[in-house]
Amino acid sequence: MTGYLNIILRLTIWFLLTADLSWANIVIGVGVTILLPRGVTNVGLLKDWLRTLGEVAVAIPQAYKEAFEIMLYPHREETVVLERVKPRRTPSLIFLDIFLITFTPKTIVQRYHSRGWYEVHYIQRRETP
Amino acid sequence: MTLVLIAMIGALLIPMVEALQDEDIWQRMLAFASISTKTSVIILVIAVLQDDWMIGVVGVLILSVGNAALMLLAQIIKRVNDVMDG
Amino acid sequence: MINILSYTCIILGLVFWYWGTWPLLGRRSVLYKLHGLSVADTLGSMAIVVGLLLRIPHEWPLLVLALISLSIWNTVLGYVLAYCVTDDGTHDVGQEVGHGG
Repeated sequence: MTGYLNIILRLTIWFLLTADLSWANIVIGVGVTILLPRGVTNVGLLKDWLRTLGEVAVAIPQAYKEAFEIMLYPHREETVVLERVKPRRTPSLIFLDIFLITFTPKTIVQRYHSRGWYEVHYIQRRETP
Repeated sequence: MTLVLIAMIGALLIPMVEALQDEDIWQRMLAFASISTKTSVIILVIAVLQDDWMIGVVGVLILSVGNAALMLLAQIIKRVNDVMDG
Repeated sequence: MINILSYTCIILGLVFWYWGTWPLLGRRSVLYKLHGLSVADTLGSMAIVVGLLLRIPHEWPLLVLALISLSIWNTVLGYVLAYCVTDDGTHDVGQEVGHGG
């Protein structure tokens, strides 16, 4: 059992870069992927993984929607909000969470506290009441 | 398509001006990050315009190696600032 | 038809580029500009690359790699810059700290 993200990422980069689906190439790609050294071997639940990858797919149209919102209406207020990390997250799932939050234009993760909090920087249309 | 290229080079000028005029190091880093992304996308557009995909491969390679150097530089600047502050 | 669609994507990307890059010249905080850049450099460039992808579909593997690396690198760079700009505990903007969740 290894980090899913690592393997998916390596294989994707390999096949997209070589653009070659012959058997030899697949064998080379899988071999290199497994042989390359990897760090943390702590795997989260498969269910969490599937949900987070689904959220990534949803995040792209949502990012474009938010981009149009902040283009049409000026967002001038800036606030910093603390958000709690969901329970039992492994480091790579936390990375994906941070990626999701930062990918949408209205929010940027500023800092990750190891005790389970994100500092998220928001822009808004007006001061929150 | 040439007009698109001209417009892109025009957009590239904005962060360049910013990098020249602003003294604050972080604003400059921001401008450099913007320049690096914009140049590599411009390389891709030129590859399509010239119909020479070798140029495009270079652009994709630059994109996938990416801004790693800028990220390292940001960390170094932060450390140096922390040390200088005491 | 494909040509029109591809030009639409490229022009949309260009509009994003100009809109998101223009605030760089102003006097806002780094984080505010970072939001603009995430519109311009991530979403705008992705739109442009999709436009190119429609023009030369046979080169899709490399262009998809370009899309993925664009989104990942720009997002991570945004996080790293935001992390480096803010000091521990003190912020120059946005004093309100709520408890969302």
